[in-house]
Amino acid sequence: MSTPALALAVALLTILGYWIGRRRSFAVVANDTSKLHSRPTYHGFYVAIWCGIPAAFVFFFWVLFEGYLITDLVVAGLPESVVGGLSADRMNLVVNDILNLASGNIVATESDPMLRAAADHYIQLQSMSRVALVVLVLSLAVAGMGLSLRAVQPHNRVRNRVERVVQIFLIGSSTIAVFATIGIVLSVLFEAIRFFEAVPLSEFLFGLQWSPQMAIREDQVGSSGAFGAIPLFAGTLLISFIAMLVAVPVGLMSAIYLGEYASRKVRALVKPLLEVLAGIPTVVYGFFAALTVAPFIRDNGSLLGLDVSSESALAAGLVMGIMIIPFVSSLSDDVINAVPQAMRDGSEALGATRSETIKKVVIPAALPGIVGGILLAVSRAIGETMIVVMAAGLAANLTANPLEAVTTVTVQIVTLLVGDQEFDSPKTLAAFALGLMLFIVTLVLNVIALHVVRRYREQYE
Amino acid sequence: MNQGSADKTRVDRTARKTVGDFTHPDPRITCRNVSVHYGDKCAVRNVDLDIGRNEVIALIGPSGCGKSSFLRCLNRMNDTIEGCRVSGEFRMDGNDLYDPDMDVVLLRAQVGIVFQKPNPFPKSIFDNVAYGPRIHGLAQTRAGVEEIVETSLKRAGLWEEVKDYLNDPGTSLSGGQQQRLCVARAIAVNPEVVLMDEPCSALDPIATARIEELIDELSELYSIVIVTHSMQQAARVSERTAYFHLGDLIEVGATDEVFTKPQHKLTEDYITGRFG
Ligand SMILES: Nc1ncnc2c1ncn2[C@@H]1O[C@H](COP(=O)(O)OP(=O)(O)OP(=O)(O)O)[C@@H](O)[C@H]1O
Ligand SMILES: [Mg+2]
Repeated sequence: MSTPALALAVALLTILGYWIGRRRSFAVVANDTSKLHSRPTYHGFYVAIWCGIPAAFVFFFWVLFEGYLITDLVVAGLPESVVGGLSADRMNLVVNDILNLASGNIVATESDPMLRAAADHYIQLQSMSRVALVVLVLSLAVAGMGLSLRAVQPHNRVRNRVERVVQIFLIGSSTIAVFATIGIVLSVLFEAIRFFEAVPLSEFLFGLQWSPQMAIREDQVGSSGAFGAIPLFAGTLLISFIAMLVAVPVGLMSAIYLGEYASRKVRALVKPLLEVLAGIPTVVYGFFAALTVAPFIRDNGSLLGLDVSSESALAAGLVMGIMIIPFVSSLSDDVINAVPQAMRDGSEALGATRSETIKKVVIPAALPGIVGGILLAVSRAIGETMIVVMAAGLAANLTANPLEAVTTVTVQIVTLLVGDQEFDSPKTLAAFALGLMLFIVTLVLNVIALHVVRRYREQYE
Repeated sequence: MNQGSADKTRVDRTARKTVGDFTHPDPRITCRNVSVHYGDKCAVRNVDLDIGRNEVIALIGPSGCGKSSFLRCLNRMNDTIEGCRVSGEFRMDGNDLYDPDMDVVLLRAQVGIVFQKPNPFPKSIFDNVAYGPRIHGLAQTRAGVEEIVETSLKRAGLWEEVKDYLNDPGTSLSGGQQQRLCVARAIAVNPEVVLMDEPCSALDPIATARIEELIDELSELYSIVIVTHSMQQAARVSERTAYFHLGDLIEVGATDEVFTKPQHKLTEDYITGRFG
């Protein structure tokens, strides 16, 4: 029995359990359901839970660990003459050969009888494990069903137990998100620590020079590498700032127009159109920035006698601003719409004009959502890479002049990791340090914004 | 038009035509042939009614008969409801209220309304009351605003309860307190006509008495239209009473006459408790 077939069988058994449990609950009270403490559906769910969950649990972990266990067993069974004195890396190669041989792929070391035997051993263990799995899972499901069917009694408080299981599921789902975050942070953190062993933290944080090229071999002539992150963060902030300067006013005002002034028809037409902006791939925005906006700015700049480089922070920032307009407008529009009409009526009944009402009642009430939209837009702006690569360049200039080329943190991370790289040189590890810093910066931004929102929100009921 | 009790026998006690005199010798607002539709549904049908200067007029009638709909016409608050159409002629001091050139903002500053459902802003109690005065620049200094807030809250009978909590959100008050907050908010801008939609529906007898006192005070200078489900209240505060029934204005008259000698069968049924 293959794994998908087994999964299907468990699912069918679960549905069957639901159905039987429900039927049984009708039977135990002779169809007079008012005698039941819990409604028949709850009895059905209870049986289904006992039928499905333990089986699924065992199934999942079995499949997860089966591979490791069998490999270990096979390795342990290899003759000492082969294993003896092999380094961990070499050992890995041997194991790979065995696995490939077992799955019938072509192998480097052809038909070594010893490997062939190991592969056969592997296949044999695997089929044994499969049989055991099928037997175990199916019997668990059936046993679960049988035991829980006994609980179908009029006075059994099955509903409470089902509710409890639902609650545990919900808690479980939320912990998954938390653990994923922790996992990502830790993995970045460890690499970053390795980086800081090579480059001092103070140099990274306060250095004004960024040029990560390092001599790869001793005899190579090359720069020794400078890892001052300030130019990168300055570039990121500059571009994000320009982008927000475009996106916040435009997005907010279009949200106000859509939510407060536009007729229903206009709204139904314009809102989806605005949201299309969010669906355009960033590469396309990149083209637009590099081929249309940047030359436009350069030409107009030279008309004004300004010295504009062909790749400029301004071009990237403007286009990025356009890209994130829908993040601001769509979310703001939703919360503005959620402000009860009674609030507006109350204001207008006191002789306030439309715009006074919007300014003093609607916006304050919608503030948390608006800030949420802006925050989302900021994180998009900070994390955006493609537009910057194409329109703002790679030069790590420390400047506040939007007409010069700058680079951002994310762009540098990409360039550091692209191509063949040693994974233990400071150059590569710098990417993780940058990632960590970026994470911390966005986290701080979020915390500040949350705080602001909590302080100034006006909560309506 | 003016049917005395002597010829009461000649009144058609079943027709859906207004009985009694809907005019007022010194009208502030005149409404003629007023209808309100929500989509296809007719909520108020061909109503004629005058609102007199310095008069308190009570609108009574069973739930859903169109009292609130009629009331909201008087300061064009029906404009904000999608699908609501108002027809007929409204004149205030001779000016057409529904004239396209009419300044609705000014109108609403003159004709204040207290909605049936309290709708305090999610701001502090102080800011709720100060909202109108600030918008209209009624006080130049902070002290001036504070004074308006205090007098308004006192007149609405809420001051004693909230004077130490003026910075708490208005939405944290109880239902009855919110109702009085909305009354205070409305009178803080000195409207000349006050529309009150069941302002005492959630109030205890003492708070109700305070609001009724306020209505008495206001009526010395202003006109008041009050919707109420309490006939005792209508009898206590109003000079005239209008009885609505399923969108029709059935009977208008001096309050004591409407309550003691109702001419129309529907009015009589309602007042004697056989309906609604
Ligand atoms: N916003 C609206 N949209 C659609 N129909 C409405 C709306 N408001 C009121 N109506 C309808 O108009 C009719 C009159 O309602 P209205 O609120 O004027 O009654 P009312 O006399 O104030 O009743 P109550 O004493 O219960 O407040 C009702 O049938 C109601 O269903
Ligand atoms: Mg009403």
